[in-house]
Amino acid sequence: MTTRDPLLASFLGHLLPGDHNGWPTASTLHLARRFREHVTRTPDGTSALALILDHLGDGFMKRAPDDANALLLKFEEEAPDEFERLVVAAYSVYYTDPGVLAAVERLTGYEARPPQPLGHELEPFDEALLANVRRREPFWRRINDILPSDRE
Amino acid sequence: MRNAPETADIVIVGAGASSAAMAWRLSGKGLKIVVLERGDWVDQHRSPSLRPDWELALQSEYHANPNIRRAPADYPVNEVDTPIKPAIFNAVGGGTIRWGAHFPRQHPSDFRVRSLDGVAVDWPLTYDDLVPYYDLNDRMMGVSGLAGDPANPDRAVRPNPPLPMCPATRALAGGFDELGWHWWPSDAAILSVDDANGRSACNSCGPCGLGCPRYARASVDVTYWRSAITAGIELRTGHVVRKLEMGKVGQVNLVRYINSNGHEGTISSQVVVVACNGLGSARLLLASGDGDRDGDGIANASGLVGRNLMLHPTAIVTGVFKEQLKSYRGPFASALYSQEFYESDRERGFVRGFQLQALRGQGPLSTALGGYMRRLPWGTGHHSRFVREFGRTVSLTVTCDDLPESENRVTLEPGNRDRWDMAIPRMYYRLGENTKRMIAFGIDRAREALEAAGARDVVVNPLARQAGFHMLGTARMGLDPKSSVVDADCRCHTVDNLMIIDGSVFPTASAVNPTPTIQAIALRAADRLLARLGMPQERAA
Repeated sequence: MTTRDPLLASFLGHLLPGDHNGWPTASTLHLARRFREHVTRTPDGTSALALILDHLGDGFMKRAPDDANALLLKFEEEAPDEFERLVVAAYSVYYTDPGVLAAVERLTGYEARPPQPLGHELEPFDEALLANVRRREPFWRRINDILPSDRE
Repeated sequence: MRNAPETADIVIVGAGASSAAMAWRLSGKGLKIVVLERGDWVDQHRSPSLRPDWELALQSEYHANPNIRRAPADYPVNEVDTPIKPAIFNAVGGGTIRWGAHFPRQHPSDFRVRSLDGVAVDWPLTYDDLVPYYDLNDRMMGVSGLAGDPANPDRAVRPNPPLPMCPATRALAGGFDELGWHWWPSDAAILSVDDANGRSACNSCGPCGLGCPRYARASVDVTYWRSAITAGIELRTGHVVRKLEMGKVGQVNLVRYINSNGHEGTISSQVVVVACNGLGSARLLLASGDGDRDGDGIANASGLVGRNLMLHPTAIVTGVFKEQLKSYRGPFASALYSQEFYESDRERGFVRGFQLQALRGQGPLSTALGGYMRRLPWGTGHHSRFVREFGRTVSLTVTCDDLPESENRVTLEPGNRDRWDMAIPRMYYRLGENTKRMIAFGIDRAREALEAAGARDVVVNPLARQAGFHMLGTARMGLDPKSSVVDADCRCHTVDNLMIIDGSVFPTASAVNPTPTIQAIALRAADRLLARLGMPQERAA
């Protein structure tokens, strides 16, 4: 943990604030270290991180929510590419966190496990679905015996 | 005193889809065949799809763009002048490690574009020339599907039954039915049943692009290479071919490479085959020749090496449905397609046509990042939007035929070199006016289909940018050496022991995914080469 991690956690909490349905607030998930490591591995991520930390300043954590959001909107407007990199990194660490995936499962029915090895049941194809299209006559173009043209 | 170079009968540069098919077809004939691949083997039994953080891999080690992925075998590409970014994979298996395995065939009309529609050029081949090789390739790759599609010529019974539909694709099929439009289940290089070679049936996990630990989704490291290597092909990984050098008789004399240990070597070969995709092959040819300078390269008397780059411009139109469809289940790119608008109809305001291909939904992270739509907003509205969209989407690509234009091209940047001291390639590409009209028309039709299917919202991505998967046309085939680089057998007009067998040789792009056609051409080229060498051939069909 670095001395700036509480500030990063606060930043993440404003991006992904959770809600009363059970979505966890990003600031409570101890994501700051993963976020920092993730974003600095991406192209130009290190400079984007430095820029946002400088922009927010230590006073960010004491700001009222509306005030903090306004500051983030201002940064997004002034440095859209850098802000986008940070949002992508924030979503990346948030939506791969086990607590968040458990919420996705609870709230949507998604199975919070890797796609493999279990996968999902493979049902047989139902050819009855093709009843309409099977009635259609072939409609691809014949070329018969057209020799290749050497024109262009 | 210099050591004599190693010798071989045939050297193939690259180990992707075309190379694998050709090498397998040439194997077992007593020829010394050496394949040089810059990348390494990928262990699909350790696919990221087995990890909880699997979606992160799509942004990093499995990202399609080499400039973002930056894997050890990747070379940088100058992509400033193209709205469609390069999508390649440098490994044994090439792009088939990373693909969705949608496996359509071109139409007969795709081979007579000039004669039928008065634009571009004709192919020196016909659909019928390739049918036995399409069929052979379908068996080797393990294609699942259903014969009888009225949009295409009759074809042999598919090796495996079609993959199943899901609630999302059933809704889409219903939309096409309501409009009276064509649709058909995709031919997919994905097994619907176990095979006898250790490949298991698909289990609908979803992210085929991360490799398949079941080997259900075909990739040529699993299909062709295993058999080819058993039959004696020598495949060397970590070998970057930097240059092909010409001898005194108008033939390639030496293949010059550097391997992953930094060792520089040469191979002298009776035949040299280039199979590095439409970007890498053009780059190698332009970088080759007698001198140290990069420039016009070899096999380029026509001046067409690198030109006529085609990329299949693609829009993605997504429907958001009210119901939870769990649309993230099932192969993401191989479900169904519509070829209602495939053939030319000038009343539409353009020539040639497009395919609508279904794409299933994505995982949680990809959904939040926008998937095929737009990034979800941050802040208090984020989670309600996520719930509204996750698992409830299905998309249609509008994959357009792309007419060749000379100014769309791959060139070299001599002053900008990679870590193997090769000039990096630069892509220059602009959408043509015909394509712009086609894509706009296609977006409207995709919207119509999704609305008929019951989507409550339809979101349009007018041009998929990280989607330069199909790099075609940069060394096209033809009858006339003045207007083409290779002949119908993939043999260079001006360097008769040099062949190019990847998508570079496509004179036109068609509107379907090119891999089945690339592989059919490569198999046919192998047979034609065997005939030239006086070697026995097997029947294709």
